Amino acid sequence: MLDPKTQNVAFERLLADFKRPLYSHIRNIVLNHDDADDVLQNTFAKVYQNLKNFKGDSKLFSWMYRIATNESITFINAKAKRNGQTSEAFQQKQVENLRADDYFDGDAVHLKLQKAIVELPEKQQLVFKMKYFQEMKYEEISEILGTSVGGLKASYFHAVKKIEDFMKRD
Amino acid sequence: MIMNDFNLDKEPKIGTGFKTPKGYFDDFQLKIMQHLPVQEPKVIPLFARRSTWMLSAVAVLVLALMIPVYTIFYKTNEEIDAVSMENYLAYQSNISQYDLINLLDSEDIQSLDVDLALEDNTIEDILTTNNNLENYIYESE
Repeated sequence: MLDPKTQNVAFERLLADFKRPLYSHIRNIVLNHDDADDVLQNTFAKVYQNLKNFKGDSKLFSWMYRIATNESITFINAKAKRNGQTSEAFQQKQVENLRADDYFDGDAVHLKLQKAIVELPEKQQLVFKMKYFQEMKYEEISEILGTSVGGLKASYFHAVKKIEDFMKRD
Repeated sequence: MIMNDFNLDKEPKIGTGFKTPKGYFDDFQLKIMQHLPVQEPKVIPLFARRSTWMLSAVAVLVLALMIPVYTIFYKTNEEIDAVSMENYLAYQSNISQYDLINLLDSEDIQSLDVDLALEDNTIEDILTTNNNLENYIYESE
């Protein structure tokens, strides 16, 4: 992929194949469409910059998802800091804002589920979103997050229990 | 909203509720491809390239010329040293046989014995022809 022309063709193909799944992954983390758009651009910029250095030591799929995950978390932390908030408080606010979001058409159950998720620790949030919404396999999540399958199953189990408890509450 | 018996696996799947603007993904693809940096081949000035080559050639040439000079110089140096050392020892009037005797201890003499491996008759010859023998015996006492 050293030849710039070949690299651009390869990149265009990656863009076509991964823009939708990566957008969903990012949107699930940052919640807001405009933020997801920003992060998706940053993600593909990083992918483009590092494509020539990609040595195939991990799968392209997990490499791109790893970049997207890191970019999303960095984005949230930076934006929270700019607003003088903790990341948790910032995300709570983002969930509150969903009700008025033009690009959110969920009902009360959708909204309550988002509220339940945002209460979870960061790792459990990620695992839950990737497993429940994106229906990824534990092995895939393991490659992206660098956590053992056993650890992921435990995280998902705890996340589901807490979400179910939250959903039962008023 | 209260869900007393909520079980995530038994409930119908709850989606994210997220939407995207119409045509977003097509626009996104276009936007990203248009912003890709144009990668033109790097232009290397001919002069700069030539000067690098010339510098390298000069460096190699200088090194090549240095090798025989160094070898000759090094060899000559060694020969001069050996000759001057001999001359020094042979004609240096300050060093007498007494000085040499004083510098040698019994261990040195033993090692000289081993190194030289002198035969008995050679030693006898030296002892009979050396005029200073009595003085040496007297000195060592």
